[in-house]
Parts: sequence; structure tokens; C-alpha cells
Amino acid sequence: MASEPEQVLSVRDVSRGFGGVMAVNGATFNALRGHITGLIGPNGAGKSTLMGIVGGAIKPDSGTVVFEGRDVTGLPAHRIGRLGMIRTFQLSAEFTKLTVLENLLVAAPHQKGESLLGAELGRRYWGPSEDALVEVARSVLDRFSMTAKENELAANLSGGQKRLLEIMRALMANPKMVLLDEPFAGVNPTLAREIEHYLLDLRDEGLSMIMVEHELSVVERLCDPVIVMAQGKVIAEGSMSDVGARREVLDAYLVG
Amino acid sequence: MQFYISTLLIYLFIDIMGVLGLNLQFGVAGIINFAYIVFIAVGAYTAAVVSLGPDYPGNFQHYVFGASWPFPLPILAGGAAAAVLSLVVGVISLRRLRSDYQAMVMLVLSLIATLVASNATGLVNGPAGLATIPQPLYDQLGLSPLDYQWAYAGWAAFLTVVVFLFVQGITRSPLGRTLRAMRDNERAASALGKGVTALRLMVFVVGGFIAGVSGAVFVEFIQAWSPGSWLYPETFVFLAAILVGGAGNNWGAMVGTLLVPVGFLEATRYLPAIFYQGFIEAMQWVCVGLLILLFLWFRPNGLFPEQPGRFRRRPLITGGSTRVPAVPVAPPAPVD
Amino acid sequence: MQQLIPAVGFGLITASILAIAAVGFTLQFSVTNILNLAYGDIMTACAFAAYIANQAGVNIWISLVVAALFGAVFSMLINRFVYFGFVRRGTKLFGMIIVTIAVSLIIQNLLLAIFRPTFFSYHASAGASYHLGSMVFTASQLAIMAIAVVAMLLIHVLLTQTKLGKAMRATATNPGLARSCGIATDQVIDVAWLISGALCGVAGVAVVLNTATFSETTGAGFLVPIIAAAVLGGIGQPYGAMLGALTIGIAGEVAAALINPSYKDVIAFLILIVVLLVRPQGILSEIAAAKEVTA
Repeated sequence: MASEPEQVLSVRDVSRGFGGVMAVNGATFNALRGHITGLIGPNGAGKSTLMGIVGGAIKPDSGTVVFEGRDVTGLPAHRIGRLGMIRTFQLSAEFTKLTVLENLLVAAPHQKGESLLGAELGRRYWGPSEDALVEVARSVLDRFSMTAKENELAANLSGGQKRLLEIMRALMANPKMVLLDEPFAGVNPTLAREIEHYLLDLRDEGLSMIMVEHELSVVERLCDPVIVMAQGKVIAEGSMSDVGARREVLDAYLVG
Repeated sequence: MQFYISTLLIYLFIDIMGVLGLNLQFGVAGIINFAYIVFIAVGAYTAAVVSLGPDYPGNFQHYVFGASWPFPLPILAGGAAAAVLSLVVGVISLRRLRSDYQAMVMLVLSLIATLVASNATGLVNGPAGLATIPQPLYDQLGLSPLDYQWAYAGWAAFLTVVVFLFVQGITRSPLGRTLRAMRDNERAASALGKGVTALRLMVFVVGGFIAGVSGAVFVEFIQAWSPGSWLYPETFVFLAAILVGGAGNNWGAMVGTLLVPVGFLEATRYLPAIFYQGFIEAMQWVCVGLLILLFLWFRPNGLFPEQPGRFRRRPLITGGSTRVPAVPVAPPAPVD
Repeated sequence: MQQLIPAVGFGLITASILAIAAVGFTLQFSVTNILNLAYGDIMTACAFAAYIANQAGVNIWISLVVAALFGAVFSMLINRFVYFGFVRRGTKLFGMIIVTIAVSLIIQNLLLAIFRPTFFSYHASAGASYHLGSMVFTASQLAIMAIAVVAMLLIHVLLTQTKLGKAMRATATNPGLARSCGIATDQVIDVAWLISGALCGVAGVAVVLNTATFSETTGAGFLVPIIAAAVLGGIGQPYGAMLGALTIGIAGEVAAALINPSYKDVIAFLILIVVLLVRPQGILSEIAAAKEVTA
């Protein structure tokens, strides 16, 4: 018997306005554990704002966000990150002057050498755990076939490689859930398909994800459930075949 | 001649300390502190005030507090005062602002500080500033003036080494890496769980402490300090040293200090005064400006760009005591 | 209370000068997103341009025109040959401000090197005094205020009625979109800097006419009040700059009269810091606080 998928994230009645315009206007949805939840909708529907609110970068005017049973409404981004929800970004957000490996190492939480005292105690103090971390990072690089780029400055990567870097970096942070904001934008189709496979594998290993995406074919392949937004509200929630047939959804895409 | 060299060395070491502090704030952590000179000044004023002895009516200079603390307390006091001020300024003015607004906030603070110090005559003796600040241990050591200077140079060198090891300890550690990440993309660092506000404040205070110490050591040598010693453009001399030497690289910062404030400015000081008194000085500032523009244009990473971390390949140790954090990652797949 | 009305009178003069300068400053910002901290020193350079003409026997009001022309060309050239290059390469905003500070250092010290650190004045009489209630104005000061009013009107007409003005507003709001609508944004930017440079020049001379003597640092001394006025009203908004100038001009003089003469500058400093920390977008503007954009 398949067990009832549990909610890892629950968003209730969240609203946020900017200068008189309600970017998000009473949005409600659930993301399921071990699933890739898709977030779709026409331009200006409020998807990015909603992701910003869930990730903690934007404070909602009202409503609640509950992550793993814990109310995280209004918590700053870094607190939410530490609780295990990692947000990736649409435009390149790589640490430009750090190498690929360093980008990954930064993401790991609870590093001994990260406090002032720890840093000053020197390599003898933080060396061993750092070495272990390097091995973990290298295995991640290996998995995504990026080993050759280990010492490359992140700024020099191609667009697609930067996307992979975002995902690898998120993984290093021990995430329980990853927010993916248009992970395929600007990526060539071959690499995009590869990334799709990586995401499916991660999902199968138990990682929950929310993915904002425009290309409906991708959403169909990867996402279940799918949340449809329009004009700041969630207008449909369900599997792709369910929502794809709904009148409101078709209307929303036509009207925009 | 020996006086000149020993003086130059003292200036060099003190400037290196100052530049290392700013390099930590700006080069490594990306904090735009255009008021850095103020923290050096606070260190200097504090050290002065706690060495001059209490103020009294009829004194030729007036200042707050006043004490006669023995060496090395004035230096620690200078560092501490600058650190406290950094905390206050940091909490109030390090904000989520456009980076050029942030720069302007700090610049205006620098100007306000100069205004306050110049006008509040009871504070640190206004525009005339403080003088006759005693050099530490001068009487106790009983050295000749020249020998004292060499000893002082040695002392400054020692402190510089300590500061260098300290900032290098940060820069080459995971903390340094996190700071650089915060500098490169604050949003992403936050999303990964890094508390950037607290980190930034910590670096600001630590850098402020270093600035204060360098100011204190400086004032204990030159024995005088007035608003004219720390006008806002002085921060940009340090900035030029960092830009030239290499932001984020502590070795580069030292080279930059050797080249700009010490090498260039000191070297040209002894040119004969052509045209009129002060012409050379004006042209020095023109050159500082040009240097900044040229390096920003041709070599924005400086002579010695920042060195990212590289890691040795070690053989994989299975078992053993190293803790491997759990990550939802499949074991390395065979290479296709 | 006795001192209040005359203080307001002085405030109106200061506000007039600030308004001309602040509108110029904010115009530069609006089309290129650059906080030009060399603005004060360009004002000084223009004041010197007028000085040279004036010393050669030219009437001070014609010299003012000379200064305006000099300012126009000088500002445009600085943007074309220095700032624009850095912007094109994607220099970050605080990098740009470092560039402008470097330019400021260069201009100010070149002036010092050329003209020597002393005080200068124009061959210009202040003219007869006029009384308006308990406010006293010299003919010069009235002329400055008249120039300010005329300049503000011209700017208003330019921005709202002319094609150029609309092109400038479009470029200021969204350069990419403006370009795709066929606007030659590069040329629009040039013209914007010409106009703002002219305003800068006029303001530079006006400052001197009001204070009788000047030196190489006079313009830089005005920079904070100018920025304060521009930011208070909402950076990038010319009408905001006028409003800000009025506020700061009058507030400064009133504070100087009521509290202490040295408080004239402090007010501008405090207003600027408070606005930057509390409401960086100013009163009129809706520009978000954290926009990193290169033109």
C-alpha cells in the first residue's frame, strides 16, 4: 500500500504587496515530501515573489509558512537555510572569485573553521574536518561530472555549468528541501536533459523540491503535484493532467 | 640618515597594519568602509587621552577623560575604543543599501566625524588637536633618541607580524572562505544558511580594532594628532594601496602599502619644492587619483590577485575517525 | 524670532543655488545611475573658468555663461571618457563611486596645483540692497534667485514638453526599453550631461557671487548639501531636488540663526545620513533601495 505523502511545506493565505500592487494575494498550497512540486503560471503571477517569501528573502504581509511542521513565517533567509530549505537562484548566484570546489565547501553547515576562534586556532583545529568535507565535495563533483572544473573560478563557468553548481552547492548544505527557480533557463537542451535526470535521481533518494518552471513539457515530466498561480493566487493544485485540463488554468494562460 | 630610515620603517609597519585591517573589511569581506580613517583616528585619540594624564584648568589643550595609563594599555585602549565605535557604527549604518549609497553613508560619517572633532573643543582639543603625547617607555628605557626609534621600529614590526598572522589566519580558513562568498553574492550566502549580518558586523569590529591599534601606535610615535591628520581622503590612500597590491590578498596588501603610502608618497616628499610650497603635495593627490583610476581600469585585481584555496588530493581513507556528513548523494558512480 | 525672517531670506538664496546644483546632480544620476561625487569640484572648476574670463575683463554675468559652457563640455567629456568606460565594463556601483572620488581628487588637486592655495574673488559688485520685510537681498542675490527660477522653469519645460526631455525621462526609467524604442540613448546621455554640466557651472559661479571669495575647495564644500537636497527629494527626480534644495537651504540658515552659525552645514549632513539610513528613496522617488543597475 502506498503511504499518504506527507506535506513538507505548507503555505497558507500568504500575501505580499509592493507599492500598492499585490504581488501575492492569498496564496495557499502544499509541497509534498520526496516529490518535485511544480509552480507554474503566466508572467507576473507572483511565482518568484512567493518563492522569495518561502525562502525567507521577502517577508509576507500576512499568512503562514510551515516547514517540516515548524512555523517559519517571516524568518530571515539564513535561518530558513539552516533549517534545511535551500533556495537556488534564477540569475547566476555563484561566488565568482571562489573556485568550484570552494563554492561547494562554503555551503556545508557547522564548519569548525567558520567561527573567529576556530579560524584562529588554525589548521590543526579545523584541518581534519575540512579534509573530510573536501572528500564529500569531490564526490559530489564526481557525480555531476564536474571534477575537471574543481579549481576553476566559478565566474568562468558556462551558464549550464553554473546551474549545476547551484544544485551541487545546495546539496552540500544538507537540504531537506530545495527551491529551484527556473533551473533550465538559458541552459542548452542536452545539459537540460542531464539536469532533469539528476533531479529525478535526487528525488528518488528522498529530496523534496519546489520548482518554478515555464516549459510545461518539463513540468509534466518532473513535477507532481503542480501548483498553478495567476494574479497572486493559487488557482489550481494537483497532478499535471488534472490541472492541465482545468478551465481556469487555460484561461489564466490566455489572459496572462 | 638613520633617523630617516627608522622613521620610514615605523611608518611602513603602521601603514601595513592599517591596510591589513581595511583589506580584511573590504578586500576579503566586501564591506565598503569609506570612513576607515576615522577608526584609526579614534585609536590615536584614545591612546593620546589615556597617556596625557588628566586635564586641568590652565592646560594648553583640553580633552575628555585623561589618564596616565602605562604601556601597553593605551594601545589596547585605542583598539578597544575603535572596536566599540565600529560596533555602534556597524549596527546603525551597515544596511541593505545600494553599494554606492552604502559608500556615501560611510563617507558622510567620515565628514561628520571631522566636523565634530574640529568643533567640539572640549572633546579632543578641536582643530588644534593634541600634542606632547608621551612616547611609551621613553624614560624607562633610557635610550638615545636614535636607538629609541630603532626599538620602536622593532616594536611596530612585531605588532605588524601579529596582525598579519591574525588576518591571514582568518583569510585562509573556512571563515575567510565564507566571508569571500558573502562578498561575492550575499543573497546566495544567506540562502545557504550563513548569517551575513552577524558576520559582517564581526569583521567590521575586528577591522576596527586593528585600525585603532595602528592609530594608537602611530600617535605614540609622532606625539601629536589633529583633525588635519585624518581627513577623509586618507582612507583612499589605504584603498589605493589595496587596489594596487591586490584586494583580498594580504601579501599583496603589504606590497601595495610599500608602493603607495610609503614608497610613492614618502619618496616624493623629499623632492625640492618646485613652483610653490604644497605643489608637490597637490600633485601627489592627483597621482593617487590617477593610480586608482589606472588600476581599476587595467588591473582591478591588483598586482597580486586574491588566491583561492586549492586542495591536495589525498587517498580516500575508509573507516577511521573522520566524520563524513550525511548528504543525500549516491556513492560515486563509475565514470562512463 | 527676530532672526527668523532674515534667516529665511538667506535660506532662499542658498536654496536657489542648491536647487540649480541639485537638479544638475540628479539629472546626471537619472540617466546614468552614477552618484557623481566629483560634481562639487566641477563646480569649482567652472568657477575658475569664470574667474579667468572675468580677470580678462569680461563682465561677470557673461563670465557666468562662459562657466556654464565650460561646465557643460567638461562634464560631458568626463562622462564620455572616464565614467562611461567603467560603466560599460560592468563596474559595480561602489566601484563607480570610487571612480568619481578619484576624479574629484584629481580635479581638486589639479586646481590647487595650477592656481595655488589662496582665495579668489570676482570683479563684481553686489549691487544695491533691497528690503522685503526684514529680509535683505543684494541685486546679485536677486539675480541668482531669478536665474534659479528661470532655470527650473526651463528644465520643467524641457522635461515635459520637448521630445528631448521625454527621451531623457525614458532613458532614465528604462534605458534598454528606450533603446528598443529607437531612442539614441548614448546621445541623450551626452545631452543630459551637457545640460547638467551647464547647471553645475551656473551653480559654481552663483556660489561665489554669494560668498564673495572662493578657493579650490569651495565646490567640494557644497557637495554634501547638494547630495542631501537631491536624495531628500528622491534621487533621480528633478522636482524632488528642487523641493530638497528648498528644505535644506532654509533649514540650514534657520538652524544657523537659531542655534549656532556652525550648524549650517551640520543640518545638511544630518539630513543626508538620516535619509540614507531611513528612507533612501527620498520623499518623491519610488526607486527601490537595493537596485544594482549599470546603464
